[in-house]
Amino acid sequence: MPTALCLEAVGAYGKFGGHQPPDVAAFEPHCPIRVFRMSTVSPTLLDPSLLAQLEKLELVSRKIFRGRMKGERRSKRKGQSVEFADYRNYVAGDDLRYIDWNSYARLDKLFLKMFLEEEDLHFYALIDASRSMDYGTPSKLHYAKQLAASLGFIGLARADRVRIETLGQPVGKPAPILRGRKSLWRMVDHLNKIQAGETASLAEGVKNFCIRNSGKGIFVLISDLMDKQGYEAAFRYLVSQQMDVYVIHVLSAEEIDPDVKGDLRLVDCEDQDSAEITVSAPLLDRYRKTLAAFVDGAKTFCTRRGMNYLLAKNNVPVEQLVSSYLRQRGLVR
Amino acid sequence: MGLETTLSLLSWWQWSALLLVPPAIVALYFLKLKRQPLEVPSTYLWRKSIEDLHVNSLWQRMRQNLLLFMQLLLILLLLLALLRPSFRGAETPGERSIFLIDNSASMSATDAKPTRLELAKQKVAAMIDSLDGGSVMLISFSDNAHIEQGFTSSKRDLRRALEAIAPTNRSTDLIEALRVAAGRSYTVQLPSENAAPSTTGEPKGQLNSDQTIDAIPAKLYIVSDGKFADVQNFSLGSLEPTFLRIGLADTGNVGITTFATRRNEEKPEKLQAFARLENSGDQPVERRVDLDVDGQPRDSKTVTVPARGGQGIQFDVDDVETAALHLKLSPGDSFTVDDEAWTVINPHRLARVLLVSPGNSLLERALNTARAHELAEVSVISPDLMESEEQRKLAASGKIDLVIYDGRSPKTMPQANTLFIGCTPPIEGWSAGEKQAGPQIIDIDHAHPIMQLVEMSDVYIAEGFAVNGPPGSQRLIDSNRGTLLAIGPREGFEDAVLGFGFYTKDDKGEATDNTTWPLRLSFPVFFHNILEYLGGNRTVATGIRAGSAVNLTAPANLQILQVRTPHGNLKDVSRGKLSTFQFSETDELGIYAVEGPDHKVTQRFAVNLFDPAESDIRSRLEDSIKIGYEKIVGRAAPQPVRRDLWKWLVALALGLLLAEWYIYNRRVYI
Repeated sequence: MPTALCLEAVGAYGKFGGHQPPDVAAFEPHCPIRVFRMSTVSPTLLDPSLLAQLEKLELVSRKIFRGRMKGERRSKRKGQSVEFADYRNYVAGDDLRYIDWNSYARLDKLFLKMFLEEEDLHFYALIDASRSMDYGTPSKLHYAKQLAASLGFIGLARADRVRIETLGQPVGKPAPILRGRKSLWRMVDHLNKIQAGETASLAEGVKNFCIRNSGKGIFVLISDLMDKQGYEAAFRYLVSQQMDVYVIHVLSAEEIDPDVKGDLRLVDCEDQDSAEITVSAPLLDRYRKTLAAFVDGAKTFCTRRGMNYLLAKNNVPVEQLVSSYLRQRGLVR
Repeated sequence: MGLETTLSLLSWWQWSALLLVPPAIVALYFLKLKRQPLEVPSTYLWRKSIEDLHVNSLWQRMRQNLLLFMQLLLILLLLLALLRPSFRGAETPGERSIFLIDNSASMSATDAKPTRLELAKQKVAAMIDSLDGGSVMLISFSDNAHIEQGFTSSKRDLRRALEAIAPTNRSTDLIEALRVAAGRSYTVQLPSENAAPSTTGEPKGQLNSDQTIDAIPAKLYIVSDGKFADVQNFSLGSLEPTFLRIGLADTGNVGITTFATRRNEEKPEKLQAFARLENSGDQPVERRVDLDVDGQPRDSKTVTVPARGGQGIQFDVDDVETAALHLKLSPGDSFTVDDEAWTVINPHRLARVLLVSPGNSLLERALNTARAHELAEVSVISPDLMESEEQRKLAASGKIDLVIYDGRSPKTMPQANTLFIGCTPPIEGWSAGEKQAGPQIIDIDHAHPIMQLVEMSDVYIAEGFAVNGPPGSQRLIDSNRGTLLAIGPREGFEDAVLGFGFYTKDDKGEATDNTTWPLRLSFPVFFHNILEYLGGNRTVATGIRAGSAVNLTAPANLQILQVRTPHGNLKDVSRGKLSTFQFSETDELGIYAVEGPDHKVTQRFAVNLFDPAESDIRSRLEDSIKIGYEKIVGRAAPQPVRRDLWKWLVALALGLLLAEWYIYNRRVYI
């Protein structure tokens, strides 16, 4: 993947850089297998207009979480800030600095002043970087990265704690925790390093993630859910977490409405499984119905378990998805 | 058109080899199924779809089979095309073809069903139907040629023009049609470097010296029964002739070739009608001959006409002043046009002639012959009485047909034809030269009715003057001193002026002969002609053939005549340039009635076939015709042409292939 993109994205925050010509993926002529429209363009992850748009947003969690560090987010917890919240009786051991000496002088009783605590929010994005994500124009993976970058940027801009991982993230090598606007370039750099080709299954990846990150916060899973073992096991792990879970199901336009004809032997790019089909109108009808049933199944599964499901097509621009669909779902505000 | 294929030409092993092809295709089809590999993100959904479809996979199989069937059909079509099937079709006209279609009388014969002409038209129509991009011209011909349709490739126009060709009752003459065809086959070809307009300002369409006229080669189809004489002195040039013979060579026919009336020399009040029948068949034929007079049966006779010979027949017709005679043969034969004949007896009318003469015994004697009495009623007045009121009224009334002025002109011209002897008419245009001695006659226009049978080589003239006529006048007698007799038109009348008198008067007033003409036989003949022509009593010639022109006469004051054709149509005939009425629409056979004002029939004439050549309907015996030095062998029918079907089969196969491709590509469901 071109590394220039991250620089450009970072530089674009201040000033817009020159546009890079789209990188055409190398085509292997000796390969006898036609490829199901591999991704050929790699546009920037974040462009300035998108960033400007995202700056106005913030991540919203429907659940109340305990942050680890001070953030810009008002918490239910009382803590140290300038905003007064309440009084309480002094108990031995309390910090003498917070005693309201004025009321002591008046009432001769020790009261402790309590202030509203402003906390950070934990934002986790888990990207499916399997080979199947490397299809479509733009590729589903790119789309997923763009989405993760957008949401991550919103979090960074609000001083939230952002961590973006992939399903195949090695157990001993977790992704960096990012915080603050200055970490934007690190996030983009990290995203750019993500390559398609991970072999971890959905369930395995989610399980590992859950083991690593047991805290609370917002969790966004971006995947095409094309796992022959099914998505149910993976989703069950998520249910057990106390996180606000969003499943963003990314599909390419070619998957939704395949443009194929003739007698074909379809080869699965991940496990080389092949399916022989003779394309006909009824088959295509059947495919569409199967796809609809698949999407519907995932959606129902999520909704029933208090998770949010969103179908994202790679031909819908990310800014539209974030500012419109995700806003409606309440992920951002 | 039978399907004539080459299928039978294959031997059994070739057949087996061919029959092995479809099973081979089926085998290959099932063995093959080389599906194109396509890498997809996941076969997850596809697998599920296929599993679902396995339930009703029959449709899938059907669809595959449909393609297979189509491929089999395609191969079969191609195999069939390779076998080159064909059918027998009509001869195709070439790139440029000219059809000469005979519509003369003999083409009405019914020995070819329905008629020879219809058969000819059918044959030509078949060839037009098989026309393939070439252009065709249609010419019908009898004794003249008519272009029915110029070069075109529009089958519709050609068929319409062909339908319009109607039989005529005319005789046959090929040369006219050949000339038209040859003339039309020429076209001007401009050399390409000279295609630009010339700089000399020459108008377009004019031939430059470096432009060439080339005859474009064309096929010439002569569709005829061949009843015409071989054509001499004609070069076909680039025309490539083919003679399509219509009709049978052994068709016998009996026809009337002559039918006329004649007054009995001994008993002038009696009329004799005589006819001649010709038999062109190999057997003597007996025929009943019925004579109708004015529609009433009058007489009937039975005659036997010898084979290849003729037989005369005679009827006596009594007490007839004016009548229409109709002769009919029965039973009829395959050529009915000549089984009927007509003739008429016209009423006898005397011309009224006024001779204005101081007394001219020679002239009076010439107008006093027995023949002259049959033609005219001559009254003589002296020149002094000429200007009297009574005579002037008479002259202006138009009741007189001819006025002869002997030596003295009137002041005004009468409403009649005139003959001026030794003087000139008092109107503009006519002038007389100086009197000159001894003019010698050089030339006589014998073609003019006045000068017919007038021989003047032995006539001497003492003195005469040259006559100059108005524009449009004709010189009838030319001498070394100028024209001696001229005739010119005047408002529907004609004035003849003779440049010498018959007497000269010397100083003492004694008359001496001026010419020896009155002593010659030509003198009464001349005046007989004068009475006949200028007296307006010319009888209509007998033996008028269909299509020929008839000269009609009428009282001098009439400008328009009406002619009622045998079918009852009225045709207007107006006075022509030479003050005669010429009627040429004589295509119908039968009796034509000439009607004056108030529809009174003044005279009638009959139009008949009377053509032994046409009546002999045996189609050309020898199988060839000769045009110039070229001998053209005739054929009875257009040559059948093998018409290949393989193009259509291949086109069909191509269409099938496209349909298959469409079904395959567009994922059409069945």
